[in-house]
Amino acid sequence: MAAGDERQGRFEALYEAHHGPVLGYVLRRTENPEDAADVMAETFLTSWRRLEEVPPGPEARLWLYGVARRVLANHHRGQRRRSALADRLRGELAVGYRPPEYTGEMARIAAAFRRLPAEQRELLALNAWEGLDYGQIAVVLGCSRNAVRIRLHRARQRFARELDGHQPGLTLSLNSPTNGANA
Amino acid sequence: MNQTIHRIGMINPVTDDEAARLARPETLDDLGWQISATPVTPGPRRGRSRARILTGRDARRRLLLGVPMAAALGIAVAVAIVGRPASTPPAGTPQALSFTTNAGGGITVIVRDPLADPAVYRAEFATHHLDITLLLRPVSPSLVGTVFYMSGPSTGPQIVPITAKGKCEVPSGGNDCPVGVKIPAGFRGQAEVDFGRAARPGEKYVSTGSAFARGEAMHGMNIKGETVAQVLSQLRARHLTVADFNKVESSGDENVRQVPGGWYVYDAVPWAPGQVMLFVGATATEPSTAAPQPAQGAPAPSPTG
Repeated sequence: MAAGDERQGRFEALYEAHHGPVLGYVLRRTENPEDAADVMAETFLTSWRRLEEVPPGPEARLWLYGVARRVLANHHRGQRRRSALADRLRGELAVGYRPPEYTGEMARIAAAFRRLPAEQRELLALNAWEGLDYGQIAVVLGCSRNAVRIRLHRARQRFARELDGHQPGLTLSLNSPTNGANA
Repeated sequence: MNQTIHRIGMINPVTDDEAARLARPETLDDLGWQISATPVTPGPRRGRSRARILTGRDARRRLLLGVPMAAALGIAVAVAIVGRPASTPPAGTPQALSFTTNAGGGITVIVRDPLADPAVYRAEFATHHLDITLLLRPVSPSLVGTVFYMSGPSTGPQIVPITAKGKCEVPSGGNDCPVGVKIPAGFRGQAEVDFGRAARPGEKYVSTGSAFARGEAMHGMNIKGETVAQVLSQLRARHLTVADFNKVESSGDENVRQVPGGWYVYDAVPWAPGQVMLFVGATATEPSTAAPQPAQGAPAPSPTG
């Protein structure tokens, strides 16, 4: 098989296996489905150009999330690039997708989530929406597993505070009985 | 799955399967085909950034840091940018940074006001056409005086910290401290450099070293196999408090404020001056934590058409 065909075949397999998760990842983080089409196109265009860097197996999905995350960050910074490659997908997503609008308890949860710093939102979303464990999140974010764990703890604490609408005021009295240690 | 993750799962806007069904298969196939028909020669990678989180020993080993927070905060940032002239600040204008053109055409930037608003640093870098963010952030003692986070372009020359011996004393030991960073010729794009500074009372750390490292609150303590009650007793002797507990279960971690004294402590991390956070659980051996299942979220959104 020619090198070009082999490369093409590898990309096709990558795209086939991961286009759904990548499109889901991007849609979950954009208000505008048209932007999602552009980010999706740019993410896979990057993977095509840097195919040699894409790890084999399940880690490829994490690598793609990392690329999509950076492309999204650029979009959010106003560096939007409309890609002609995404024209058809953009049109179909614009017709077929509308971010859900929540009411009641879910609206309260969504509002608390939106108030979190972007970094904490991403940590919690990777855990809750993509279902990644600490080690996988560490690969996406380029940090240690332990750092992910600690930052997730902080993010959960902040989320609870936003949801409750008040400071938890955590203080541990070490003079209290330790069979019910208070923090 | 803990309650927070469950709640956030409830507001999952769209699942992967739903996303894949929002476009026709031929549209998705066509996109993949078009992408693979483009020339492989990489295009410009403007705007992409590479971030590195640097913690603990790793940070010191790779960066040989320990900023001379010169007298706690006097940071010298040496920025060498060949070929870019430095502009002269208006006479009499107080500067948070000073820019000096080097013989080779580079620029040395010295932080004159280490307590300046980061926006001031940014503005002054911007006057030299540099998109650089310099931050001083509260970190646990073993990271004070280090660069604990750097980001820059994914390609091309990268910022490299430079160090000097004897410029400071790092709480975790050693005296090989960063005196700044070098930005090589041809550097383009955005960069961020975060220096660790001592936290003020009550201020949470944004980055932490090991709780047991030299200079840290629990240095020398042994918590292996200890119960919560035993560890609390040790902490009390050091006038330390627990800010929060991280309950470890196979279904995932959860933040809790109260745990039985007979539970076990698996690990500890610095939290704020005088405070730590404990990883705890009901079993003597720490359970391995599984990944949560991707949330199904809200009902599939209806098309707008």
